[in-house]
Parts: sequence; structure tokens; C-alpha cells
Amino acid sequence: MEQTKIMIDYTHRQAGHCESGTTSNLFQYYGMDISEPMAFGIGNGLYFSYIPFLKIQYAPMISFRNIPNTIFRRGTKRLGVDAIVIKKFKTPKESMNALDRNLEKGIPTGMQVGVFHLTFFPPEYRMQYNMHNMVVYGREGDIYHVSDTVLEKPQTISYYDLQRVRWAKGAFAPNGKMYWINHVDKNVDLRKAVTDGIAKTVYEMIKIPFPLIGTKGMRFMAKDLRKWPKKHGKEKASFYLGQILRMSEEVGSGGAGFRFIYGAFLKEAGEKFDNPDLLEASELMGIAANKWREFSYIGARNCKSRSEPTEDYGMLGDMLKEISYMEEDVYKKLDKIKI
Amino acid sequence: MEELKFNYKYKDPEHGHYKELFYSYDKDGNYDKRVRFHDDSDRVFIEQFWDVQNNRIEEARQNVLSGKKSPVYYFMEKNLLDPMSLGLQAKIALWRVKLHFKPRVFRRLNEKTLEKYAEAFNITVEQLKNIE
Repeated sequence: MEQTKIMIDYTHRQAGHCESGTTSNLFQYYGMDISEPMAFGIGNGLYFSYIPFLKIQYAPMISFRNIPNTIFRRGTKRLGVDAIVIKKFKTPKESMNALDRNLEKGIPTGMQVGVFHLTFFPPEYRMQYNMHNMVVYGREGDIYHVSDTVLEKPQTISYYDLQRVRWAKGAFAPNGKMYWINHVDKNVDLRKAVTDGIAKTVYEMIKIPFPLIGTKGMRFMAKDLRKWPKKHGKEKASFYLGQILRMSEEVGSGGAGFRFIYGAFLKEAGEKFDNPDLLEASELMGIAANKWREFSYIGARNCKSRSEPTEDYGMLGDMLKEISYMEEDVYKKLDKIKI
Repeated sequence: MEELKFNYKYKDPEHGHYKELFYSYDKDGNYDKRVRFHDDSDRVFIEQFWDVQNNRIEEARQNVLSGKKSPVYYFMEKNLLDPMSLGLQAKIALWRVKLHFKPRVFRRLNEKTLEKYAEAFNITVEQLKNIE
């Protein structure tokens, strides 16, 4: 068998969140200076949804992020970047061939993968989660070089394993989805992109008329949270709480369920356009994010002593409600801002 | 495929402390990003999850050995799945998956269905039939 060796000169930078990090790294490879928070903000990474009747791993489903590929798709569209997303391949073989062709042309290629069978991933973070993103930038024979922004260093993975994670099954199955950038236009109107990004996030967080999404969803969860110990027993209530906080604090959220990243985006945009209103909004967002951290500190105490909660769930519910109003203030402020 | 043994790994203090990038906000209004370990309070959630999950796996194993449940149930827990996501992965309807948890039904399964399960769990049919 002939030994192929391709290595693209791609810089791996660690990032808080897998998709915004991947997007930002790809932009920077093509010489466009977009930081991770910027990519996250422009591409509408921020979200909140709480779906109590859908159980993932025996705990209610909660999401702090948008559905996969939103950041890349919307980010490239708003920044006028010529990019291609292939949503679905027919067969695994075809998807791998497409990847090889891309590598031969010297294009670092991003892809959506499932986490559970990802060989280099820390075992304790394994879960059935199909919304992870990474970039393949090189191949040596059977080994692919991968830049996974959650981890500190670039990794390698074999052909078989890569094919397996690209064809992970289940909810949000990737089906070999891959994406890359063709051409970057550097003289882009960043102001317009930021305005659009903020407007869409504001819409998704406060304007969708559905009680489980955005700040309304947070209040809905706060109401549910109080009932858990009575409804499900103390053991299960603490498990639910732990799962929710695991989603917000664990792997690839940058802390406080992406709220810190979004605050950093607002600050960066405010400094770039010299806009005091945006800076003020970023300040409020930072305070709300710190409140999230406080919430998870207190929640952690309940998770530690599982059968006898040290904190009252009513108090946690009040706290969550308070956070939701704090965040709502930020979005209402952002709604009125002219950039 | 490497064996997934979660039980002891996360309890080893050295293992699993992966450095991640975290953002933070301080009192002066500056956002800071730093590569650091997880806080201890965050680790509580991981530990809780694996404690609960390991209990589930062990319980499922006992149930299978005593003949109350079929091996499908054990491997489902071991792969961190629930009945619905197992149905999605193996492409078998949810009610059938639940039916296959009964040892009586499992014993009569045809080769094709067993292969579907084995592929979802990334094991061979032989391994699926005989659990340790």
C-alpha cells in the first residue's frame, strides 16, 4: 500500500467551545482575524432550551447551545465567506474519499462527530453526544491528524475510528457531515455581521413565543426545579440537578453555559466599534454569568450529599429565576442598541 | 475496541484532570481566558454521574446473571444508552427494544436482529450472548 503523507500547516488553538473554536481556527487559517468569542457571537451560539419530557441519559434534556453547525453556517454567511457544508453522504466510504480529496487539495476540513467512540477523548467525558466538532488537517497512511479544540494538543486517529465517529448513530446523527472554507473576503463589513448576530440571538432568547426556549425556558425550569424533590425523591432530584450543571459547566462550554464567551464577544465588539452601550451590556452579561457560576457552586453542594440536600431546592429555583431576569435585561438592552 | 472501564479511572486524582480553556469575568469588568483544570465543584457532577451510571451497570449485570433481564439491557447500560437512543442506534422500534429486555424473548431472536444490536454495541454476536 502506498504511503500518503499530507500535512497542512494548520495552527491548533485551544478554545472554550468546540464549534466556535473550530470556526475561528478555520477563519484564522485563511488570514481572517476572528477570535473565538467573535465567531460565537456572530454565529448565534447562545441558546437555552429545557425539554423536561425528553430524557437523555435518564435526565431531562437541557441545552445551552444552538443546534450543531449553526455557528459555522451563520457565521460564514454573515461574514461573506465562501464556504461549503455537505450535510449528508450516502455511504461512509464516500465521505472518507471526499475528505481525502480535500486534504490533497490542502483544505483543512471540519466535521461533526459523535463523542462516544472518539478514541483520544478522555474516558470520563464519554457520552452519547453527536454534536462535537473537530478539524482534520493531515494524513499519514492510515492515521489522520486531528485538531480538537477542547483538548490542549492536536491528536491522531485511525481511518477506521474516524469513519466510525463520523457515522455515529442516534439523535443528531452526523451522517458524515463536513464543511470547509473555499475563499475569504477580508474587506467585510463586520459591523453588519455583529448587528445581525446580536439581533438573532435576542430573538432566540426572548422573542420566541414558546415557554421552553430562552429566558422563558429558564423560568420554566426554575418552577420545575422546586417540585423535583417531592416529585422524584431526593436522590433523583440531585441527579437531575447534577446533569443540568454538567451540561453547563463541563466539556466545551467555557464556563457558565457559554455566558462568559458571549460576554467576551459583547466586550470585544464594544471596543471595536467604540460603543458604550455594548460595553455596558457586556458588563451585565458578566455579572449574570458569575451568578450562574454561583448557582452551580451551590448546586454542587446538593450533588455531593445526595440523599440529604444541604440547600433548599426552592432557593435554587429563586436563584435561577433571578438569573433569567438578569439575562433578560441584557437582551432587552441589546435589542435597542444601534451599532 | 478498547474496553470501557470507567469505574476506577475518574477516582484516580491524576487521571482525568484535563486542562480546558475557561473564560471568566472579574470585578474590574475584564474577561479573562485561561487554560486550567476544572474546579473541584465541577468535578462533583462528573463523579455523581459515574457513580450513578456504575451502579446502574452493576445492577443490570446482576439482573442478567439472575435471569431477570436479557444481555441487551446490560450492554445498553454499559454503552451509556437509554432504550430510546438504543432504538435509534440499532434501528429497532422502541417497543421492540423494550420487549427484547425479557430473556424469554431474547432467546428467540433471529440472527439479523442480534447482529443489529452487536453492531450498535460494537461487539460480536458471541459476546452479546455470553456476558461475564
